Formats: sequence, C-alpha cells, structure tokens
Amino acid sequence: MSFSKFLDSMRDDCRGLVKELSKSFDYVSILGTDVRSTVFRADKNMSDIRDSEGECGFVVKMHSGRSFYEYSCGDIKGDKKALAEKILKNVKIAGTLTDRQIETAKVSDVPMKQDFSIETDFDDFSDEYLLGVCKKISDELSKKDEKVLNAVGVMSPYSVSKLFVTENRELSQYYGWANGYALVIYNDGRMVEARHVEGSAKLAEVIEKTNASLDGVIDLARHLVKATPIKPGVYDVITDSSITGLIAHEAFGHGVEMDQFVKDRALAKYYVGKYVASPITNMHDGAAATRSVASYFFDDDGVLAHDTQIIKDGILVAGLSDLASATQLGTEPTGNGRRDNFSRKSYSRMTNTFFSPGKDKLADMIKSIKHGYMLFETNNGMEDPKNWQIQCTAEYGIEIVDGKLTENYVSPVVMSGSVPELLKSISMISDNFEVIGAGHCGKGYKEWVRVSDGGPNLKVRVKLG
Amino acid sequence: MKNLKAILDKTQGLSGYRITESATASYELFFVHRKLETVRSTDTVSCDATVYVEHDGKVGDSTFHVYQSMSDEDIAAKVEAAKNRALLMFNEPYKLAPGGTLEAEIPTNLDKYAPEELGSMIADAVFAADTLPGGSINALEIFIYRTVFHVVNSRGVDKKQTVHRVMIEAIPTFTDEKQSVELYEDYRFTNFDPAKITAEISEKLKEAADRVTAQKLDKEMEINVVLRPEEIGELAYELAWDCNYQTIYSHANLHTVGDDIQQGSGDKLTITMKAVVPGSERSSYFDGDGSTLRDTQVIKDGVVSGSFGSIRFGQYLGIEEPSGALGCLRLEPGTLTDEELKAEPYIECVSMSGMQLDTYNDYIGGEIRLAYLHDGDSVKPITGISMSAKLSEVLATLRLHEKTDIRNAFDGPVKLLLKKVKVL
Repeated sequence: MSFSKFLDSMRDDCRGLVKELSKSFDYVSILGTDVRSTVFRADKNMSDIRDSEGECGFVVKMHSGRSFYEYSCGDIKGDKKALAEKILKNVKIAGTLTDRQIETAKVSDVPMKQDFSIETDFDDFSDEYLLGVCKKISDELSKKDEKVLNAVGVMSPYSVSKLFVTENRELSQYYGWANGYALVIYNDGRMVEARHVEGSAKLAEVIEKTNASLDGVIDLARHLVKATPIKPGVYDVITDSSITGLIAHEAFGHGVEMDQFVKDRALAKYYVGKYVASPITNMHDGAAATRSVASYFFDDDGVLAHDTQIIKDGILVAGLSDLASATQLGTEPTGNGRRDNFSRKSYSRMTNTFFSPGKDKLADMIKSIKHGYMLFETNNGMEDPKNWQIQCTAEYGIEIVDGKLTENYVSPVVMSGSVPELLKSISMISDNFEVIGAGHCGKGYKEWVRVSDGGPNLKVRVKLG
Repeated sequence: MKNLKAILDKTQGLSGYRITESATASYELFFVHRKLETVRSTDTVSCDATVYVEHDGKVGDSTFHVYQSMSDEDIAAKVEAAKNRALLMFNEPYKLAPGGTLEAEIPTNLDKYAPEELGSMIADAVFAADTLPGGSINALEIFIYRTVFHVVNSRGVDKKQTVHRVMIEAIPTFTDEKQSVELYEDYRFTNFDPAKITAEISEKLKEAADRVTAQKLDKEMEINVVLRPEEIGELAYELAWDCNYQTIYSHANLHTVGDDIQQGSGDKLTITMKAVVPGSERSSYFDGDGSTLRDTQVIKDGVVSGSFGSIRFGQYLGIEEPSGALGCLRLEPGTLTDEELKAEPYIECVSMSGMQLDTYNDYIGGEIRLAYLHDGDSVKPITGISMSAKLSEVLATLRLHEKTDIRNAFDGPVKLLLKKVKVL
C-alpha cells in the first residue's frame, strides 16, 4: 500500500482553496486525511471483517493575525470562491465575542515541500488469509482448555495518508501500523478475561507473535481465576514495560501537554528546570523518538516530528506543544498537534511516550524487594496535571516475597498517589526496553488518538489498592 | 445516500443491506481563560453500509465506510469488496429490522437560535458563574451539534431522526496564595436554560474552592460512601451491560434471568433500559439497525429479569421481540432520606478521577479528588483518597435515595449509599 490516490488528486484543490481563503486570513492551512483501518475478528460463534476507525476529509485552519478558525468537511472539490464564502459564514462569531478574541503572534509558514512514505506489507495478506489467522487463534485457544468459554482472535491493519498544504508548504505522508489480539473468557469457578496484545509496523510480525502468545494467554487465565484482591497499602513495586509506560503517560505526559500550560492547567509549567523525578530518570516523547503506533513524519499542524526529552536526569526540561499553544507561549511547536480525526480540533497530544532504559538487571531489582509486587498490563489510567494526582490500574500483579516472584496473583491493582512522590521514588531502572503500541488516549474524556508508551522496568514505592 | 442505495439495489448476489448516515453540522468555541482562542465549524457526513450475503445455509456480512468524496465507481468497488468479504463468513442467519418509516425530532429549544448567537449566550451563562473571589474558568469548550441520523435497509426501513445537543467542557479553578486546584465539568443538554448552566458551573466553582482547603485522611477508614448520579449511572450501566444480548451470546455475562445479584438487606435495584430520557442527547426512537426501541426492564428488585440489545443478537438468543440497542437507563429510587443518611458518618464523593468497576473481579473503587466527610452537622472537604470494596458486598447492602434526577442518559436516585467501604 502507498499514499492515497484520492489525496494525491486533491493537491490542486487544496492550493486553490488556500489561495482563496488567503484573501481573508493571514495564514491558511489544509490537512487532508485518508485513514483506513480494517478489523478481522473471529470468536467461537461468529466472524467479521469490517472497516474500523477510518476517515476521509479535510480541515482548514486559519489565523486572522489574532486568533484561530477551523472548518471541517468531507470534500473540497468545486467552486473555491463559493466554498470560501461558506467557510467565512460558518465561522463568524457574534459581535459580543469580538472583544473576547485572544491575540496571539502570527503563524510562521516556513517553506517546505516533501513526500514521506514507509511502505507496509498489508497487501501481502488476503482477507481470507487474515480471517483464517483469527479463526485459528480462536480455535487453538478454545482447544487448549475446556474452561475457555469463548476465545477471540483479532487482526487490525491501519494505514494513514495525510496531505498538508499552505501557501509555502506542501507535505504528504504515508505510514501504517498493525495490531493483533488474542483473548479468552475463562471460567473456573470464577470468570476472567486474559489477553495478549501485539503491535508492529509489519503485519507479518504481528501474526507471528500473536500466534506464539496463545499458551501464555491460557496460563495467565489459569492464574487470574485464582487471583485475590490486594490488601491496600504502600508497597515496593516493579513495573513491567506496560505499567512503566502508563506511569510515563498518566503521571507526567499529560502534565507537559503545553495547551494545558496556556490554560494554567498544568503544575509542570512552574517546574521547568526543577527536579520532578529521581535523578536516574529520563523520559521522552515524540513521533520521531521511536518506531511505534504514533510515529509519523509531520503532525496535524504540518510540523515535523520531534524527539522531545521531557525529563533529563530527573529534571523537567521540556513540554509538548501544538501550533496554537506554541503560538501563545512564544515557543517552537514540537510536532505534537494531533486530532482525533479531521472533524475535531488539534490539541497538544502525546505520541510515543517512554522512560529511557537504565543500568539495572530485572533479576537484581526483584531480588532487592523483601515484600512487594510486580505489576503487569495496563488496564486504564487517569491524569490530574493540575494537582499531580494519578490513578493507574494494572490488570494484575504478582507478589514478591524475599526477592522472588511467587505464584500469588492479585487482580485488579489500582496504583494511586502523588506524581512527584511516585517519580522521586524510582530507585532502580532496568536495562531492557519495550514500547507497547496498542493504546488510545483521550483528552479529558474525548479526543481519542492512538498512542504508545513503555520503557524499562522501574522499581518504585507506591500506594496500591 | 441516494446513489449508495441505488448501487446496493442493483448489486447482484446481496441478500440484504443496511445504510446508516449521520449528517452533522457543528459550531464550536474554545476559550483559554475568558479569551476566545479558536472558532470551529464542521459540516460532515458519516456513512456506513453493511451488506449481507446468504450462502451455504449461513449468512455473511461486512460493513464499510462511504465518504462524501467517493464517486459512484468508488462506491460500487467498495460494495463488491464487501460482498466478497461477506462470502468468507459463516454466521448464523437473522432477519434485518422489518420495514417502517419515521421522521422524528428529539424535543429541543436549541433550534430557535443561530449557532453563533447560541454559542455566545452559552459562554455568557458559563462566565456569569465566575464571580467567586479566587475562582476562575481556566478553559471552556462549547460544542453545538445538529445531527440528522438516517437508517435505511433492504426490508423497507427508512427512519430519520434529528437531534440538537450541546456539550460544555469547563474547567472551574480556584486559586489561593498557596495553591491552585481545578475540577472537570462535562455538561450536556438538549434544551438551553442559561440559569441552569450558571448554577451548574457555580456549584463546581464552589467545589473547586473546597478542594483548596480539603485535607487528606490521616488513617485508613471503613466508612459509608455516597455516590452522585454520574457514578451511580456508571454502576447501573455496568450491571445492565451484563444483560445485553451480545454479552450473553458471547458467554461474557456473569448472571442470567432469575439470579439475585443483591443477596442482602439493602434497597433493591430495579433497572430499565430506556429509549428516551427527557433532556438526554442519547434519547432515540430507533437504533442503528432501524429497530424501533422498546423500554426493557433488566433487573427487578435485585433479580435479573430481562435482557436487551440489538436485533441480531436478540434473534440469536431466540428473543421474539428484541428491544433494540437502548441507550438510556432508569434506576428506580429507594427509601433513603437525608435524615437517615446523617445518622452515621459518611463520605460524599464529589469528584472522582474515574470509577473502577470490575464485575469479573467483584471490585468497585477509585481515586477520589474531592469528597465531603459528613459527621453529624460537621462537613469537611477531603482529597487525595482512594476507595475500594467488593462489589457483591456493597450491592447487598446499598441504599438508594428517595429523590431522583437526570444526568445525561441516566435517570435515577440523586444519591447511592455504599456501606462500610475501605477508604485510604
């Protein structure tokens, strides 16, 4: 697969509309999107192939020299003068709001013309083959244990084409990502769900690794049915890469989204240059920071992807910004302007967010704990950038006693507390590293975008419930 | 949709089809503090088509997106590809929703205003609440939507429904010399009442002010905890979801009809899934299949009494008249009075970062950002605490307030009391 033929055919239309709207605005950009996603799914009872979270449309962003305007629509073909008039009519404001408009610096439009592309292997696999993979996953999981009530296999390739046009800039990009899932509903006196999630830019790799995960899924289900609730308290904890990523994302990632800085919604604004974490801690975010689900070449504001170091040796050094927040703060945007889809606003959003690896061995980290838990698999998390409280839920934990992992599973495990206390409690960081590219992240309770997070194993001290 | 329907009608080899289309026009305002940063408008159509192919005694189906920019040739190619995908599937047959026409509008007064006029009035109503010394609205987003939802199928369904709705996301904040704290407000309505908006935001600002003075608990407690409608709704939906046809068909349900989910002495839950709750944006007369929605009781006096869901999974379970995919929920009130509530100390949750509910693990809990500790006539704001309990234990003894209110799609008691919850 490669860049969208439809978007490629719309370059002249985009240029024409930019030219027409430039008569009324200081800055005009158009982002065209053609995102395709297919879900192949099979369980014991049924199967399905369907388009998933696709989109195809345009968003026009305008700056008046004072504030921003946006208009989203499905098509921009036809009379550009008439469309420009319609846009102007649709974004007009009541006279009472004119005095309330913000005044920001002008938006720069640095010249650049480039086409970016990473070929995918999605076309190597037929619909029939991929549905067969899902059926095989479901069948094999079902056969492994009679206590499996249902078993699900899912494969989901996702490809993105985007075209960005301003007066001086014309960028296009094509990239893809694939996810695979193996899941069982298992009942042995108690019902549990156990799953394995895989992600890669190569669908072949996702198929191979998901197929290889099935014994582990059944083993996890057998342990989870015996899991007990954790006794609430403060414990020494080792995180797996997924939980490390959850901490990076919820504890600090949301807090350094710089549209929160302009709204005075993030305490981090006042901590730039100060210690916010243990001195052995380093954290990054960026579409160019690693290769995962949120790796792109330019963001939805047409800003090239960055690798932003957020925490350096425990000190907060930088935040993440979209075009609008950077314009208000007088900083350079960091390539983190992202939209749920073309009909939604662009905000400062995380991409691939992770802690950097350290020097410790995981075995030594476990050995160092007299009594505590190792936590696995993200369930969900909530941030509170203003007050630096977090709540993260792990699917399960394994008790550590006298430096050894036991067979005692606890589930679910909710980790909560103060962000600086948690980050300053990081005492060991492993030398391994994994970023998990299967997440979605909301802003508040909406604006969902695909994100990855991860890193090494961390040793922390935290409240569990 | 006209071209799509014509293409589907003339495609050979299909046993049926369904088209769902949402045409949405929106007007959106984004404020940073009290300054207008961005004005947005959208004019979009989201359209999905599902094709059905009966073969080998089974049925296959496949759903695809249809975009505004697609030509007839593009659409015909998508139909053909979906037909071929449907042939790969061997699912149990079922009948599409039977024919019927409807053109309806969810009651509203929002259509009386031009979008830019309404946006300005809503902003004024929100900022009118910003009178508390030390208080501020640090961010405000206003979304005004008009959506026409249209479902057509090959059995003659042709139903259209217009919904006007508004969503406000506001961040009431309170700052003193030591700290600044905020709460999150997501307020949705289908009727514009500026006084109600101002009152809602004022209440949140006062709560944000209380969060500044709120203290952490100095020790773990086992205490009664009171939830408000937002969290009560989450709990009720979670319990109801166990009674959804699809949950049951996929063997993911914990309970079946006749099971008592509240073996104890508390107020008994009676939950009805509903098509329409006054003022709710999720109110609807029909679902995405075009099925007419029928209110359905799923839990009566604490015992599972019914199930609900889409026509497909309803037929798979042998339900004669499936309810349709109902989106609103009514929880009947109980007997708890404010006087009874005061008899013992309790914590009233005002703002949670998200309620954690896990029916499989029999767990309810969450981090509480602001709560009030009531002890007789004393009321103290508390913060930074988390609660956790066994879901089955609190269900057995819970109490439901005698008064009800509507919050989004939830219509139910204004308070729900969970007894003896661990709070740290």
